[in-house]
Amino acid sequence: MTELANNSKSMGYWQRVARDGPRMGFWFILPTLLLLVFIVVFPLLMQLYLSFTWWTPLEGIPWYQAWEVFNWGENYWFMITDPRFWGALWRTVLIMIIAVPAQFFLGMALAYLFIDQFPGRKIFYSIMLTPMMIVPAVVGLMFFLLFQGTGPVNDHLGLPAEFSWLTDVNRAMISVIIADIWQWTPLMFLILLAGMLGVPSDQLLAAKLLGGSNLQNFIKIIMPRMKTVIIIALVLRAVECFKIFDLVFIMTKGGPGVQTETISVFLYKQTFGELEWAYVATIGLSILIALSILAVKGLSYMAKK
Amino acid sequence: MKTSPGAMALKCFFVFLASVVVLYPLLWMVTMAFKPHPEWTTVSGLTWLPKNPTWQNFEFIFFGEAEGLVVSLDRTIGGPLIASLVTATVGTLIAVVCGTLASYAVVRFGLAQSLPLSVLQLRLFPPLAVMIPVMVMWAFIGAVDTWWGLSLIYGIVTLPFAFWLMKTFFEEVPVEIEDAARVAGCSYWRVFYRITLPIVKPGLATCALFVFILNWSDYLLALLLTQREWVTLPVYMATLTSAMGGQMYGMKAALGVIAAIPPVVFGLMIQKHLVRGLTFGALKQ
Repeated sequence: MTELANNSKSMGYWQRVARDGPRMGFWFILPTLLLLVFIVVFPLLMQLYLSFTWWTPLEGIPWYQAWEVFNWGENYWFMITDPRFWGALWRTVLIMIIAVPAQFFLGMALAYLFIDQFPGRKIFYSIMLTPMMIVPAVVGLMFFLLFQGTGPVNDHLGLPAEFSWLTDVNRAMISVIIADIWQWTPLMFLILLAGMLGVPSDQLLAAKLLGGSNLQNFIKIIMPRMKTVIIIALVLRAVECFKIFDLVFIMTKGGPGVQTETISVFLYKQTFGELEWAYVATIGLSILIALSILAVKGLSYMAKK
Repeated sequence: MKTSPGAMALKCFFVFLASVVVLYPLLWMVTMAFKPHPEWTTVSGLTWLPKNPTWQNFEFIFFGEAEGLVVSLDRTIGGPLIASLVTATVGTLIAVVCGTLASYAVVRFGLAQSLPLSVLQLRLFPPLAVMIPVMVMWAFIGAVDTWWGLSLIYGIVTLPFAFWLMKTFFEEVPVEIEDAARVAGCSYWRVFYRITLPIVKPGLATCALFVFILNWSDYLLALLLTQREWVTLPVYMATLTSAMGGQMYGMKAALGVIAAIPPVVFGLMIQKHLVRGLTFGALKQ
């Protein structure tokens, strides 16, 4: 007995940890936990604190002394009555409700084409996936080049160089949406195809032998079995679409005026253009709270199903 | 399932059409990178393949000046390229190491069952909504415009992907193998290091490449947290015009091509696992 105790004492701390599963697990989790605390808990508190002040980095007041310019939540009132904020939010939602369904239907159609074998399927599959692997900022540049007045799009359509896309009030938004659809349809395609290939082929074959048409098979056999996949694909895209920044910022910088200003571009401009950091913190915190509520609601809804 | 020749032809037509749509913007940028100045616009006629192919654009961004160009560049691609490589690599290391360790502990020891969801939440919010405190903190600890400051934030934002991806890989390792090694007298650490890690090695490589692509593709975070020294490729690409006055389409396109190559190559390499990675392991191919 004493020998054993001596033995375990002579082992170093780490050797003992290595023999104790849960304790090793604790050390394994620790770095991630520290990062989470570092990036979630502390910043959230700071954001809450700053959002109740007039603090900006301009006046030379360090952030921890921001209470000197405490303003009793006027930022929140300002946010609620700020038409630019609601406009940006609306435009973000607009991009979402146009681009995400478009990507979904295009992706679905493409995936349907790729169910069966055909010559060159592998190569075409790789080609289809390329857009989503390209750096979003570069995609922004690509469409920036395409939609120039003297670019190829106008040339094909036979339009004059004065016909502008990116500086036109309506067409700027259309250009951005086209670029987003181009880049992210492949993601929908990829996920939906994986879902379709997961549908047991014997069930499909049986339905076919029983005389179901392609459309009937698609609606009655494939679709119900893809429900989860479809939800995952749509949620993923919607979440990412809400964050849209790179594309818009490189293509139009949110312009002309505020015509393509999404919520991220708006926040960026407030941060660096107007340097109203406290106001940005207010909006950021409100978005966090709103999205968290949505996420919790969504998760509990999913759990119920 | 057999398809009629007519349906097959129709299908091939649509696939071909889709490929054209996919390749059209790409081709314009790639050829642009090899075009001299007069061919950048369609003023003197549309040219798809450069009439006078040239390396001038690449020469210009690498050396700051090129033959036949009067302007010169005060800042060449060298710095941003190194910055992109260093920050993306270190960020990937942070994410993969932390994600691997934590997901193993969650999968094997059943610790911190709420961790997966709270990690996932990191991915839900627009970065800009949480960036004010991060920028204040980064300024406070002197991490703005340094390689480690940017790497740290990269590691954090891609941690959810690494964590969930590795979680699915660990869940596939049969627990019996580990138990056998435990019975044979291995410590937990030895089991993890000598048995489990080698088994998930392909998964680990996939995860690292995937996270690297994400880090390399970032534009916003670098825009917020760097000023000059550690500006990354996409930011450098976007600022090229404003610094030069005139529109430098060709040079920008050349930069775009360089920035686009690594993720596309890596992405095609891990094609099989893309679904798993992008859906946080919810779907497998």
